[in-house]
Amino acid sequence: MSKKTIGRRTTLGLIGAGLVAAPFIRPSYGQAAWPEQTTVPDILKGSGEVRIATFGGLMQEVQQKAYFEPFEKITGIKVRAFPGSDATKIKAMVDTGNVEWDMAQLSRGSIMNLQKRGDYFEKIDYDIVDPGVEAQYRFEYGLEMLVWAQVLAYRTDAFKGAVPSGWADFWDTKKFPGDRAMFGTNSGGWPEMEFALMAAGVPADKLYPIDIDKALASYSKIKKDVFKWWDTGAVPIQLLTDREVTMTTVWNGRMAALQAAGVPAAVSWNQGLLKRDAWGIPKGAKNKVNAMKFAAYSTMAIPQARVCLGIPYGSVNAKSNEYIPAERLAVLPSAPDIKKQLVNYNYDWWIDNREAVIPKFNKWLLS
Amino acid sequence: MSEVVQPASLALAVSRPKTVPFDWRRAVPLLLAAPLLIYMLVFYALPVVAMLLRSVNDPTWTLSHYATLFDDVVFQKTFWITINTSVTVTLGCLILGYPVAMGLVRSRSMAPFILVIILLPFWTSVLVRSYAWMVLLGRHGLVNEALLALGMIERPIRILNTPLATQIAMIHILLPYMILPIANALRQIDPSLIRAASGLGATPFMTFRQVILPLSMSGVAAGTLLTFVLALGFYITPAMVGGPRDITLSMLIAQQVDQLNWAYAATLSAVLLATALALLAVARKLPGVGNAFKTSMR
Repeated sequence: MSKKTIGRRTTLGLIGAGLVAAPFIRPSYGQAAWPEQTTVPDILKGSGEVRIATFGGLMQEVQQKAYFEPFEKITGIKVRAFPGSDATKIKAMVDTGNVEWDMAQLSRGSIMNLQKRGDYFEKIDYDIVDPGVEAQYRFEYGLEMLVWAQVLAYRTDAFKGAVPSGWADFWDTKKFPGDRAMFGTNSGGWPEMEFALMAAGVPADKLYPIDIDKALASYSKIKKDVFKWWDTGAVPIQLLTDREVTMTTVWNGRMAALQAAGVPAAVSWNQGLLKRDAWGIPKGAKNKVNAMKFAAYSTMAIPQARVCLGIPYGSVNAKSNEYIPAERLAVLPSAPDIKKQLVNYNYDWWIDNREAVIPKFNKWLLS
Repeated sequence: MSEVVQPASLALAVSRPKTVPFDWRRAVPLLLAAPLLIYMLVFYALPVVAMLLRSVNDPTWTLSHYATLFDDVVFQKTFWITINTSVTVTLGCLILGYPVAMGLVRSRSMAPFILVIILLPFWTSVLVRSYAWMVLLGRHGLVNEALLALGMIERPIRILNTPLATQIAMIHILLPYMILPIANALRQIDPSLIRAASGLGATPFMTFRQVILPLSMSGVAAGTLLTFVLALGFYITPAMVGGPRDITLSMLIAQQVDQLNWAYAATLSAVLLATALALLAVARKLPGVGNAFKTSMR
């Protein structure tokens, strides 16, 4: 039963992403030449293959070109990519001893939440990781490899020229009328308690530890206007496109495609959350050595820069900026002007407290 | 092949009194069913048992997961939403489906046409049909645009992402499961009974009320049961078109699987399964439904 449920949900997400995103996927690669990595340390070379689970969609297309293909060429290790990465599946794989992935794209939160329940991930071999990868992106059971933001997005044609900025405006349905959508708890999602707190006036540097009751009290003020608690990144984009909502929270990379398709919508970076994706290597992965090599390669300056050129997400390698044109840098969540408006997501707090938050949030939602 | 045959014949041999000589002809039905039975055992029964076990032995043997349900507000609300939705959808299917089933049986010339209308959507995936409803019911969808054009509303109304949208889409998806058993029952009514009723002076309504309706109850019961049990497990449709608070039990199970609370998810699944089984057990005792089971056995 549970297995079937995962299947359905994943299919739903995948097909949803496909249907919704398909008309306006126009990756921005090809506009300018991408930097090429011509050499790698011998320790990264090898043979055989590495099986990598990704979040699919445009992101995987970009990953294919940014580092899967160059990695194959330069190291001799073949990459097989699978969309639909999911910590639940890794738990099932490791529990049954049938580990089908050598590496998976996840968040530090999902990796550590699973690791809390047993030994599900291999430790990262930091000896071969590029020194350019900043310390904040390194942790024992994973290596962060992508910086992105969860931000406010709105229809620019909805408010007669008024520009919302921050969560107080999101909560203000008099000044900015219309339905809202926010990230919900389905699909293993974590509610946006930080946004609720900032809407209630809590300063960005005082968010953690999160006062759950205060956040829910703030949520109550917007509850009746939240038309959809979304669970996959394609949903808010579709809601904005179809004019079902005037304002929603989004994953910033998705917005580029929307804007490229000519939908009058924009992002407000102010008070957004700066989040990261990480590579995790499932315990007992057959090609874990190759996976480790790939993790090290993909976080080097040039492969990271290539991702930034393909999709507006940021790099974990400080030296990547040398390979990214200034006008591109300016639209990434890692750009200094943008980054200073964002709040660092506190994975540690969530790893410790998610189990307390979800039932409270569910109860609040149904009351 | 011999391993496939053995368990079935063994089971049969055990269940028979020893004095009766073994009759191979009586084993034929079981042998015919054996491949499917074994398939179901391996790919359905065993996983279900494994899942149910998880609800009582995670982390150790305990009934605590079930005990917590008694003061688990989230479970109780979700359970109520699930039952409520299923009842509404089943009633909707019955009201809309019965006349269609009558039309299907009564009209010889239109029957193929009606059948195609019923079955065409039946062959389309639930996902695609749910997307179609999103397009139709959206704030700027066809329904709202039509109502606006007719001047019946001044501003687009919210239909998508409400309980109503869930009910509309689920009724659409489940209608064939109601219509086909009813049509089957109606088709089995001896036409001479209806002629006799009118010959004895019954009005068409009296004929319907006193002859057709009672005789079709087995189909109504079968259709109702099938629709209700299927509705209990709905997941995709309420997730896609339902309201922000329309969390069905299946959605809660999926959420808890993703949140890695597998014991809780297994407990919820067991409750859902038990509800469906209890309904089947109760329904079999009802007059009419028992007939439906017998009819399907024939």
